[in-house]
Amino acid sequence: MEIIKLSKDKFADFLASLSEGEQKLYAPQWVGESLRFAPVTDSSKVELGMANTTVPPKSIFFPQTETLYRYELGGTEMQQPQVRDTGVVLGARPCDARALVIVDNLFNWDLEDPYYNEQRVKNTVVGLACNNPCANCFCPSVGGDPASTEGLDVLMTELEDVYLLQPLTEKGQKLCQSVAAVTEKAAAGDQDAAENLHQQAREQVARKIETEGIPENLPKLWENTLWQETANSCLGCGICTFLCPTCHCFDIQDEVEGIEGRRCRMWDSCMFKEYTLHASGHNPRPTRRERTRNRINHKYSYFVDKFDVIACVGCGRCINYCPVNIDILEILQQAKEAL
Amino acid sequence: MVDVEKLKEIARETVSRDDVKYLIGWRQGSFGFRAAPHFVNKPEDTDKLIFSPLCSHNLATFLTLAEKLPVPRGQEPDSRKIALMVKGCDSRAVVLQLAEKGISREGIYVIGCPCRGVVDQKKVEAKYPEMGESVTAEWGKETIIFDLPSGREEVPREEILAGKCITCRYPNPLIADAGAWEEVAVWGTDDYADVKEVEAGNPQERWDFWEDKFASCIRCYSCRNVCPMCYCEDCVLDRLNPEWVMRSVNTTENTAFHLARAFHLAGRCIECGECERVCPVDIPLMKLNRKLTKEVREKFEYEPGVDPEAKPLPASYRPDDKEDFIL
Repeated sequence: MEIIKLSKDKFADFLASLSEGEQKLYAPQWVGESLRFAPVTDSSKVELGMANTTVPPKSIFFPQTETLYRYELGGTEMQQPQVRDTGVVLGARPCDARALVIVDNLFNWDLEDPYYNEQRVKNTVVGLACNNPCANCFCPSVGGDPASTEGLDVLMTELEDVYLLQPLTEKGQKLCQSVAAVTEKAAAGDQDAAENLHQQAREQVARKIETEGIPENLPKLWENTLWQETANSCLGCGICTFLCPTCHCFDIQDEVEGIEGRRCRMWDSCMFKEYTLHASGHNPRPTRRERTRNRINHKYSYFVDKFDVIACVGCGRCINYCPVNIDILEILQQAKEAL
Repeated sequence: MVDVEKLKEIARETVSRDDVKYLIGWRQGSFGFRAAPHFVNKPEDTDKLIFSPLCSHNLATFLTLAEKLPVPRGQEPDSRKIALMVKGCDSRAVVLQLAEKGISREGIYVIGCPCRGVVDQKKVEAKYPEMGESVTAEWGKETIIFDLPSGREEVPREEILAGKCITCRYPNPLIADAGAWEEVAVWGTDDYADVKEVEAGNPQERWDFWEDKFASCIRCYSCRNVCPMCYCEDCVLDRLNPEWVMRSVNTTENTAFHLARAFHLAGRCIECGECERVCPVDIPLMKLNRKLTKEVREKFEYEPGVDPEAKPLPASYRPDDKEDFIL
């Protein structure tokens, strides 16, 4: 597939052609005080210069609150939610895109989730290679790369004056054709320059963990003091899980206002006290020790057992945002030492 | 000023006591300009303790956050003390927790750490965006000194202090069982400029301001969980029947959540600023809390957590309380 380039001064036109017709365009923008993916209404607000968004783009495919159907009290009919528009997710970082491929496993496991899959099919993901990995990025340690193409339809690389666009799938190819008017064929030198940047970025990733042996052995540390030590300072808030691009737990609630009801699913967090709390009052993970243990084991052991891939893409968000500096790499390191 | 070596010595003595279960202090964080809470069970663990301008965490939170598991039959509950280090602002939380009977005086051992202000993570990370390996910091005279990989750098204090420290009037602990350090002079004054700025707007402008902020909330509840004064065992926000605040994350429910949180802190917020510090989407929660603090100060001449003898505001009815604002 042909690699094309987009001159930076044509960026606004490029955005305009991506949001033509019914197609929705999502890109990183400041919402309140935080950077996150939101529908583009004003091209000048699109911010591709920052590293990762605070909230990962999983929120487009698996929204924090999603109405599964609506109903009226006393009625017997279910109203399906609206059919979604097709869309383009622009500027997803390779780790976040890889996370989608990982989460695909879960949403197509015992049941093919229609809501998630519809969004996956209808959206084209245009990734942006990381030229400057952050302090807590560790994607290469968990099978990723600052220029990984997994989960992407197009990989975009920022060069000095241009963006290089490399289509990777049929959807990506179609997208590149749709912006032909504002792009041109890339020169051989451009591609070399991009590869150089990818290599530089790879070398810049400072933090590492050797994951070999962790998935099969982590459950052996079930009663290790490590979990209590980690849980001591844990606040039990939802930052690490809500901002995680691979965390996918949800809860289902019926919400009624007047006579109108809706069945929704919303993000849940294994760090919350009420997570999987039984109706009897029994809590299978009664304290933060068990909850912390679950979070790490789920990502680095149970998920691997089921789907043969670590459910962590090394984006570093849980490390960056944890209010008490609980650092997943430190936990894994301690686990390795204890094994 | 606190002598960190002296602090470690006191910590060592404290954890060696038979009646102390563990001690909570701070340690250097794993990266950048971070510190982290440090739980000390053995005297040798005190080596990692620090007290520096990075020690933002209000450790009083961990007094009420400590999980009490059912005691097995035939065993006595562990009644040993929890020792903790407190800055001035943190000590106000301890004072109020005691006044509210959330904790018992016999159950704690307080080590006071007079404080010259902690840094605002966001300000310091904006100043040094090339954040990488762990950087230590210390107080200079009116400055904060960082040990950066590129060398030592001294930054004027007012440039990077957390907002709560700029207006701080209680840098010295108001309750302490140990701590033999020189008190620091009060540098801050508080005219509630941040609150007045919001108050100046008309209702529509104020609504727009908060609507925008609340819309971005992801309901991770870190503001609630980190708050030393939010310690109800059964939080109204966790209730499902009746579901006072719906789980749906939207502007309406988020607003209900934030207003409930703020109201439950009226006359109880001790202004440690932890809620605002931990918010991953940077909602300026202290503006909201401080609006209520300002009201309480004006209407009842009451300030929470500063007087160990004082009753909590809701328990301190006086016949001469002003009534001119009651409709």
